[in-house]
Amino acid sequence: MSSNVVVVLDNGGGLIKAGIGGERDPTTVVPNCTARPLSSKKFLLADQLLSQTEDLTSAVLRRPFDRGYLINQDLQSTIWSHIFSSLLHVTPSSSSLLLTEPLFNLPSIQRATDEIVFEEFNFKSLFVSDSPSLVHLYEASRRPYDVVSKAQCSLVVDVGFSFTHVAPVFQNFTVNYGVKRMDLGGKALTNYLKELVSYRSINVMDETFLIDDVKEKLCFVSTDVARDLQIARRRGNDNYFRCTYVLPDGITHTKGFVKDPIEAQRYLTLSEKGELPQEGANEDDEPEVKSKPNKVDLTKNEFSLSNERFLVPEMIFRPADLGMNQAGLAECIVRAVNSCHPHLHPVLYESIILTGGSTLFPNFAKRLESELRPLVPDVYQVKIATQEDPILGVWRGGSLLASSPDFDAMCVTKAEYEELGSSRCRRRFFH
Amino acid sequence: MEDDVRRMSTRARKVAPKMVAALASTDNRTQAILARLEALENDNPGAELVEPNDDDDDASLDEDDDQVFQKKQSKGTKRKTRQAKALETAKKAPRTFLELLHDANLESLPPHVPSYLRAAVGPPSSTSRRDFCTVCGFSAKYTCVRCGMRFCAARCQNVHNDTRCLKFVA
Ligand SMILES: [Zn+2]
Ligand SMILES: [Zn+2]
Repeated sequence: MSSNVVVVLDNGGGLIKAGIGGERDPTTVVPNCTARPLSSKKFLLADQLLSQTEDLTSAVLRRPFDRGYLINQDLQSTIWSHIFSSLLHVTPSSSSLLLTEPLFNLPSIQRATDEIVFEEFNFKSLFVSDSPSLVHLYEASRRPYDVVSKAQCSLVVDVGFSFTHVAPVFQNFTVNYGVKRMDLGGKALTNYLKELVSYRSINVMDETFLIDDVKEKLCFVSTDVARDLQIARRRGNDNYFRCTYVLPDGITHTKGFVKDPIEAQRYLTLSEKGELPQEGANEDDEPEVKSKPNKVDLTKNEFSLSNERFLVPEMIFRPADLGMNQAGLAECIVRAVNSCHPHLHPVLYESIILTGGSTLFPNFAKRLESELRPLVPDVYQVKIATQEDPILGVWRGGSLLASSPDFDAMCVTKAEYEELGSSRCRRRFFH
Repeated sequence: MEDDVRRMSTRARKVAPKMVAALASTDNRTQAILARLEALENDNPGAELVEPNDDDDDASLDEDDDQVFQKKQSKGTKRKTRQAKALETAKKAPRTFLELLHDANLESLPPHVPSYLRAAVGPPSSTSRRDFCTVCGFSAKYTCVRCGMRFCAARCQNVHNDTRCLKFVA
């Protein structure tokens, strides 16, 4: 350990998880972007964006990632440089790097990435991994008696920032030909929520940080959309979803917050069996008119939410509702499994692992199971496990791998890179 | 306090250039959907990105970054000379993923090779699409004849026509 520090970097499009191999948790989890607050000329980055006092209202945002892939190497290396020196306090030239990259990364992007790693930062050696195999590794180590580790096989469902991947893992390797991708993740959900709120109450199209917070605190997955839409039309106490979010005022608070957190949790008291709760008051014809959705008092600096809370995550299950011509998550899983050998089908359905920040919505696994079960042959079991921490799962797997005795031998050294070049080195990482 | 609200709500909304192009197309409905999906990928949808001078773009760094950063800078210059020619033509703005994807020419791979393109999940098998009103979110019976978006009642139709229809307000 002391002789060789391994920097483990789970370089996501939304968040970077960075730390030292062998530790349980990353040292830091920061946004992989830079943003300039309206009031400033200076771009803030990474941890600076997490400051409780920084007013990020209408901040202009830049990300090194586009559609899940690294396109702006200059910006990325600026962010990395800050992380290595100010947050991890490591010297790249005397460290190894374990880096995650998205599945099906393009060779041109790999080349540019290797160049930063070896020529700009001078890392001693590099290992590049995809995420599903690291998630598998971590889960297999946590549950040694489970099918995941006994069959060395799992189905990793990663609902990330830019997209969603369903990836079969077999003998600890991601089965590339079985991977299926939906072009939908946390970023699209936040943008969809922005649209809905801007439409109905107040223009928040520029408020990525704020609406991310609203999404994380208030959105959930409905287990019965038809019933919940009915409830969302009701007024007053009969509407279990209505809640209010207070915008920052720039004076007493620079961050938004949920006005009444207890009110916001009322939906959890609804029966899971899809019963419609008794209504205290009236229930007549035109609910549209009577409920006057979201009359917002602008002087109060707040907006209210009701059906948006579950219609946003609904996208992952039924993208077609939004006019997207792609299958929903349950069908995506079935297609990934079906592209593997039939012998693997029962094992894969029995070892589904949910990871990625967008699986954190309450009721996610329950809903997925209810959509998936009817699509899977009756003789197979369906078992869905959510990672203990879906945001850190990939990093923890990386940390585990970095501390294994084989790790050094798996890496490509700087000398090898200089001799062989990027593409020949890359061949070593997979298979 | 009110200042803040105004700041957020009155920022001019502009029509993005891609969406202008989309509008020129004859098939409004298809183009409306594409424009909408494009909007869901946008990092700064509320404002047309006025690229300032790209040079003071790099976030200013804290003092303790200087050491690593300087190393990086000097390396950076080396890299620049090597790549100078390429950079002269393709200056500044990073290429989008779709451009990089196009260059990668994945279509030319034999069909059995897994790739980004082949991993796409594909269209849903059942066509049963549930229709939610794009204004209020409740179930929608009607379709706008101009753009194909759904609405539930006259009240929402008016909102749609006033604020949304074929405007592609990002
Ligand atoms: Zn409506
Ligand atoms: Zn219309």
